[in-house]
Amino acid sequence: MTSKRGFAVALFAGALAALVPGAARAQGQLTVYCSVQEEWCRPMMAAFERATGIRVAMTRKSSGETMTQIRAEATNPRGDVWWGGTGDPHMQAAEENLTLEYRSPRLAELHDWAVRQAQQANYRTVGIYAGALGYSYNVPELQRRRIEAPRCWADLIKPAFRGEVQVADPNTSGTAYTLLATIVQLMGEEPAFDYLKALHRNVNQYTRSGAAPARAAATGESVVGITFLHDAVTQKVNGAPVEIVAPCEGTGYEIGSMSIIRGARNLDNAKRFFDWALSAEAQAIGAEAKSYQLPSNRNAPIPPEAPRFENIKLIDYDFARWGSAAERTRLLTRWDREVRAAAR
Amino acid sequence: MPDPAIRFERVTKAFGPVRAVDAVSFDLPQGALVTLLGPSGCGKTTTLRLIAGLELPSEGRIEIEGRDVSRLAAAERRIAMVFQSYALFPHMTVLENVAYGLSVNGARRAAAEAEARAMLASLGLEGFEARLPAELSGGQQQRVAVARALVLRPQVLLFDEPLSNLDARLRRRVREDIRDLQRKLGLSVVYVTHDQQEALAVSDLVVVMRDGRIAQMGTPTELYEDPADAFVADFMGEANVIAGEVLAADGGRARLRVGGAEVEAAMRAHPVGPATLAVRPEAVTLVDAGGVPGRVARAAFLGQTREYEVETDAGMLFVIAPASAPAFAEGAAVGCRLERVIPLRG
Amino acid sequence: MGALSLARIALACAAFGLLIPPWYGLESGFASWPGGEAAPLAVLLAGGAAWWLWPVPLILLASAPSLLAHRAEGRLLIACGAGVIAWVFLQGWAIGLPGTVWSIAAPFVGDASQPALGWGATFLLTGAVGLLSAGLAAQGRFNGDAFVSFLVVGSAALLIAFVFAPLLTILSAAAVEDGRIAPEAMLARLTAHEAWSLACVTSSLGCGVVWNTLALATLTGVLSTLLGLAFALLSARANLHLGGAFRALAILPLITPPFVVSLSLIVLFGRTGMVTEALSALFGIPRSRWIYGLPGVLLAQLLAFTPIAYLLLEGAVRQIAPSLEEAASTMGARRFTVFRTVTWPLLRPGLAAAFLLGFVESLSDFGNPLVLGGDFDVLATRIFFAIAGARHDPGRAAALALLLLGLTFGAFALQTAWLGKRRYVTVTGKGDAGVPSPLPRGLAIACGAVAFPWMAFTAIVYAIIMLGAFVHDIGRSDMTFTWRHYITAFEVEWFQGLVFRGAAWDSLFTTIEVAAISAPLTAGLGILLAWLLARQAFPGRRTLEFLAMLSFAIPGTVVGVSYIMAFNVPPLELTGTSLILIICFVFRNLPVGVRGGIAALAQIDRSLDEASATMGGGAVATLRRVILPLMRPAIIAALAYSFVHAMTAVSAVIFLVSARHNLATVYIVGRVEAGEIALAIAYSSVLILIMLAVVLGIDKLVGRAQIGRRAPAGAMQTAPVPVTA
Ligand SMILES: Nc1ncnc2c1ncn2[C@@H]1O[C@H](COP(=O)(O)OP(=O)(O)O)[C@@H](O)[C@H]1O
Ligand SMILES: [Mg+2]
Repeated sequence: MTSKRGFAVALFAGALAALVPGAARAQGQLTVYCSVQEEWCRPMMAAFERATGIRVAMTRKSSGETMTQIRAEATNPRGDVWWGGTGDPHMQAAEENLTLEYRSPRLAELHDWAVRQAQQANYRTVGIYAGALGYSYNVPELQRRRIEAPRCWADLIKPAFRGEVQVADPNTSGTAYTLLATIVQLMGEEPAFDYLKALHRNVNQYTRSGAAPARAAATGESVVGITFLHDAVTQKVNGAPVEIVAPCEGTGYEIGSMSIIRGARNLDNAKRFFDWALSAEAQAIGAEAKSYQLPSNRNAPIPPEAPRFENIKLIDYDFARWGSAAERTRLLTRWDREVRAAAR
Repeated sequence: MPDPAIRFERVTKAFGPVRAVDAVSFDLPQGALVTLLGPSGCGKTTTLRLIAGLELPSEGRIEIEGRDVSRLAAAERRIAMVFQSYALFPHMTVLENVAYGLSVNGARRAAAEAEARAMLASLGLEGFEARLPAELSGGQQQRVAVARALVLRPQVLLFDEPLSNLDARLRRRVREDIRDLQRKLGLSVVYVTHDQQEALAVSDLVVVMRDGRIAQMGTPTELYEDPADAFVADFMGEANVIAGEVLAADGGRARLRVGGAEVEAAMRAHPVGPATLAVRPEAVTLVDAGGVPGRVARAAFLGQTREYEVETDAGMLFVIAPASAPAFAEGAAVGCRLERVIPLRG
Repeated sequence: MGALSLARIALACAAFGLLIPPWYGLESGFASWPGGEAAPLAVLLAGGAAWWLWPVPLILLASAPSLLAHRAEGRLLIACGAGVIAWVFLQGWAIGLPGTVWSIAAPFVGDASQPALGWGATFLLTGAVGLLSAGLAAQGRFNGDAFVSFLVVGSAALLIAFVFAPLLTILSAAAVEDGRIAPEAMLARLTAHEAWSLACVTSSLGCGVVWNTLALATLTGVLSTLLGLAFALLSARANLHLGGAFRALAILPLITPPFVVSLSLIVLFGRTGMVTEALSALFGIPRSRWIYGLPGVLLAQLLAFTPIAYLLLEGAVRQIAPSLEEAASTMGARRFTVFRTVTWPLLRPGLAAAFLLGFVESLSDFGNPLVLGGDFDVLATRIFFAIAGARHDPGRAAALALLLLGLTFGAFALQTAWLGKRRYVTVTGKGDAGVPSPLPRGLAIACGAVAFPWMAFTAIVYAIIMLGAFVHDIGRSDMTFTWRHYITAFEVEWFQGLVFRGAAWDSLFTTIEVAAISAPLTAGLGILLAWLLARQAFPGRRTLEFLAMLSFAIPGTVVGVSYIMAFNVPPLELTGTSLILIICFVFRNLPVGVRGGIAALAQIDRSLDEASATMGGGAVATLRRVILPLMRPAIIAALAYSFVHAMTAVSAVIFLVSARHNLATVYIVGRVEAGEIALAIAYSSVLILIMLAVVLGIDKLVGRAQIGRRAPAGAMQTAPVPVTA
C-alpha cells in the first residue's frame, strides 16, 4: 500500500514538475526552430552553446511545418530564431511581418546572392547557404533500360523516361516550388507550362517531401529524382550509385535562410546566434554533418563534395517576386489545374 | 403514541409518463412486519426504494420515525435493505461484507470486524467469515445479506422479494426465520412480495397495491375476510365475485337474492339494494337441494379437498369442499349454500 | 458528500488560489514570489494592479457568510460559482497580450495587457466549479449528491474546454475567408472539385479525395473484418490451440508506431524491394510501383487494423451461446446450415462493430497514406498539407475536416440504424453449458487458407523491421551488420556522470514521461465518466456522453491544429509545454476509457452500488471500495491502451511538440522525411520493445484469468469497444 502511495506521489510530483512552464529555465537561453536535417541541427546548436554558454532549446521541423507554427504562434511567439530551410517560407514570413528586421555586422562577409536576398526581404531574413536545383539518376537502372544519360531539363521529357521521373508536389514542398518557379523563369510562363505538362507524363509520383526523390533515385525506386543537388550528394556520399546533373539550360537555386521571429522573448541571444551563424566557423559545421550546400560566408570552407556554383549555370532567381504569396498562389493554382489534373 | 416507523404523505414517483407510485399515503407502525403486496409492476419495489432513499419522490413527503427524509440520500438514512439478488460484494469476504457498513460509517476496523463476527455468529454463520460470497449456498448468502443489514441496527429493515431466489423447501424456513428475528429484535420491517401466501403467513400488516396506488391496507385476516373490492378479494386468495341484491341485512346475517334464488348468509351490515358480492370457495357448501341451484360442470379430487365448478344462474361458482363432505359427480344437480358473503364496494 | 461540505472545500480552494499561488502563468519560475511575475492575485490587487479582477474576490466573499452559518443556499452558490468563472474568462479574452484586447473593452482598460492564467487561477476556477456544483446539489439536482454534481460539472467543463471549444475554433475557420465570415466560401470549400471529382470513373485521372477516402475506408473495413473473422473462427472454434500465437500477432500492430509497417512494405514490395527483385529475377515479372497508392495503403492498414477486428470478433464468436447452436442441430440442421442460419446472424453485431472500427480507423489514419500514398490522397493527409504545406489554407483544411467528420458520423449513424431494430443478446449471465459446435470443414479450410498466409506475412513484415535496425541500409539492400543506428540514437557516455548523447534520448524521455502521466489521468477520468454515464441519472447525460465520445471521431491532425489555434494565447496558453501534450492525449484517448468503463459497469449489478448506499456508503466510499475494485481489469486495460496510444500517436501531436518537449513518433517522422529509414526503424524497434514490456507487464499484473473473464481477448480488448455502443 505504502509503495503504491509513494509511486502515486512521485507521479504527481513529476506531473507538477512537468507542468510548471519554464520553472527550470536558465537565464541565458534561446529557442531555435531548425529546418535542416537533424544531423546538422544538433552539432550547430551544440557549437553555439559551447561558444556562448547560452542554452539552446531546438525543435527540428520541416520549413512548412515551422511556418505553420510561427503563424499560429504569431500573437504569442515561442521561438526566437528560425534557422535553415528553403528561403521561400522565410520570404513569406518576412512578407507577413512575422519576422524582425536585423542587419548583422557580418553581412559584409557574405556572398552577393545572400546579401541580395536580404535586401529583397528588407533584412528580415538572410541567406546562410545556397543549393542549386537539379536531378540525380540511378546509373544501374539507367543502363538496364539502355537510356542515354540525361544532361538537360529537356532530356527529362523524352518518352524514354516515361514513369521514371520523381519530383515533389509544389503544394507541399518548397523544393518542387523552386522547380516550378525556375522553369517559369527559365522558359517564360507559357512554354514553362507546356514543359511541365510534358514532364507530368513522365512523373511516376509527386512526393510530399522535397528530398524524397533523391532517396528514390538512390534506391532505384525511380530512375530520376529532381531535387536540390546537395540532397543527391548526400546519397552519393553514402554510396548510392547515382550521378548528379546540373541541367545544361541553367537552373534555379534556393537560399537556405535564417530569420529572427518577431516578438522573440530572447531577442539579444537571438541576435548573438544570428551573428554567430553567419560566421565562417559556424558555416563549416554543415560539411562535417554531411550537408553539402554552399555556405553564404565567403570565408567558409566549401566541402569538396559540394556542387560548385562556378560549374553550374545559375539563373537570376527573383526571390522577392516568386516568393510572394500572391504569385505563389497563382502559379500553384495554375499548376494544379493544368498540370496535376491532366491525364498521364 | 410513538411516531410511525414510516409515514408517506401523498408521495408520487413518476418515471417520465409512468407514475410508478401515485399519491400514496400511509403510516406504518414501529416494530411491525409490514408487507407490500401486489401484482408485478404495481409499484412495490419503487415504494421500497423510496423508503430506502434509492429514489427520491417526485412529490410528497416521507418521514422515518418522525424525521422528514424526503430529500435525504440513501446513505444518510438509517435504513438497511436486503436485495432480491442479495448484492453481496463479490470481491470481499463474508466478514468484510458484514463489516462494510460499519466501517464506511466510521467504525475502526477491529471494532467493525468484532461486531460483524458477533452478528454472523448470532445468525449461525460461524466459520464462514473468510469465504467469498461465491463460495456459499443460496440460503447462506441470504443470511449474510441479512446479517449485513442488521449489523447497522437500522430504524427500518427492508426486504425486496427475499425468497425469490430460494427453492420451495427453503422458502418456508427462511420466511419463518425472518419473522422470528423481527419479533425477537422488535424491528420495523417492510417486506415486498407478490406471493399472497407469504404475505399472509408473516405479516402484521399488509398493504395491497395496484397500479401505483394502495388498494387496501389491513391485517391479514381483515384483508382476507373483508376485502374492499374485487381486486383485493381476488388477490388475497380466490373469490367468486357475483352480482346480487341485498334484501335485508342486520346483526351479521343477511337475506340476499342471488341468481333468482333467495338465500341467507353471514354478512356485515350493508344497505338494501343491488350489490357486488364475493364468496370464498370454501364458504360455499354443496347440498342436494337448497341455496342457489346449479349443476356440477367439473369435479376434481385433490386428496384433502375436492374442487367443483358449478354452473348457476349467477355465473360459474368455484367451490372447495373438504374430502369428508359428500361427493358429487359431474352433471349432478346441486344446491349451493352460501355460508359467508362479502359485499364489495363499488 | 453534502452540498455544504463541498461548498466549504470549494471556497477554501478558491481562497487558496487567490492568496498563495501566482495568478499568472510563469516564464521564469517562482523566484520572485510573492511579488513580481509570480504574485498571487491578492498581492496584485492590493498593489493596485489588475484592478479589473476586483469582482472576483468580491463575488467569492458574497458566498461566504451563509456557508459560515452552516447553510448551503443553492441559488447564491450557483450565482457565485458561475459569476467567477464567467468573469475570469471574459476579462481574459478582453484583456490579453498586446494586440488582442477586445475593442469594446478598450475604452475602459486602455492598453492594459496581461499574460495567461496560471496556478492561482487554476485553483480559483476549480473552487468556482465546486461552488457551482454545490449550489446545484443544494437545489436537489443530481439527487442532492454534491460529489456527483462536482464530477459532472467538472468533467463537462474540461470536455468543453479541451474537446468542444478547440473543435469550434477550427471549424469556424471553415467559414472564414480573409478574416471575414463568408458562408459562400464555406459552401464552395465543402463542394470543391478536389473533394468530389469523379474523374477516375471516366478517365485515368484521380478521383476526389472524399471518394478516395471512402473507397479506402470501405475496403479496409470489409477486408479487415473478413480477415479478423477468419482468425476468430479458427481460434475459437477449430481446436488448433493457437490462441497464444494469434494473441501475439494481434498485439504487435497495436504497439507499432505509424510509418513503420509502411516502411517495411516498401522494403519488401517497392520497385527495388526484396520481393520485387526476387520475382523479377526468377520469373521476369516487371518491377512496378504498385505499392505506392491505394494497394499499398490498404495493405498497411490491413496489417494494422485486422488484429483489432480479430480481438473484437473473437469475443463475439465466444459469446454465442452454444445452446443456441445445439438447439439448431438437435432440430436436424447440418453443420453448415447451423453456421449459416444461427451463428452467422448472431455474429452480425460483432461484424458491424469490426467493420465500423476498421472504417473509422482508416479514415483517421495519417501515417500510412503519408508514406505509401503516392499520388493517392486521402482526407487526413490533404488536411495536413492544407495546413503544413507550401500553400497554407486553414479554411480549406477546416472544410476538409468537416467532410471527414461527416463521414465518421455517417458511419456511426448507419451502424445504429442497422443494429438498432434487433436484439442480439445471448449472454444471460447464467453460465451456458454446452460445447461450441466445431467449424464446418469447408469453412475451416477456407479460414486457414486465408489466416495462415496472412500470419506469415505479418511475421515477415515485423522481421524486416527488426532486421532493418541492424543493417546499414535495408532500403538499398546494403545488408552489412551494424550497430550504427542504435549508437546514433541511443549513445550513452560516461563523462562526469551519465550523459545521454544519442539523438533519440530527449524525445524518448519526454515520450515516456508524457505517456506515463497521461495514462493514469486518461484511465481515471475515463472510468469516472463511465461511472457517471452508466450509474447516475442527471439532465444532460446524453450531451456529456456525446462530448466524451466526440474526440474518437475527430482525426488527429484536426485535433493538433485546433489545439495550437485555441491554446496559444491567454487566457489559456499551453503551447510549448508538455501539459498540452498530456491534455491532448488524455482527451483523445478518453473515449476508449469511457467505453471500456461502461462495458465493465454493465457487468456489475447496480444493486451492489445501492447496497452500499443503504449501508451508509456515500458516492465516494461506494466508488472507492466497491466499484473501482470490481473494475480493476477495465482500469488496467484503459491504462495500457492510453499508454500505448500516447506512445504511438503522431498526427495529433506533430504540431504540438516544442523545442523542449519533442516526442518519439514526431522524431521518427522527421527521420523518415530525411530518408533515414534505418534510424527510424531502429528507434521504432526500441519503442515496440518498451510498449511490449509495458503491455505484458500489465497483463501479468492483472492475471490472464481476470482479464479473461471480463474481456475475453485480454488487455487490449477495450480497443474495439468505442464502436460497439
Ligand atoms: N427506473 C425506472 N424507470 C422507468 N420506469 C420504471 C423504473 N422503475 C420502475 N419503473 C416502472 O414503474 C412501475 C412500477 O415498477 P416496480 O416498482 O418495479 O414494480 P413492482 O416491484 O411492483 O413489480 C413499472 O411500470 C415499471 O416499469
Ligand atoms: Mg419488484
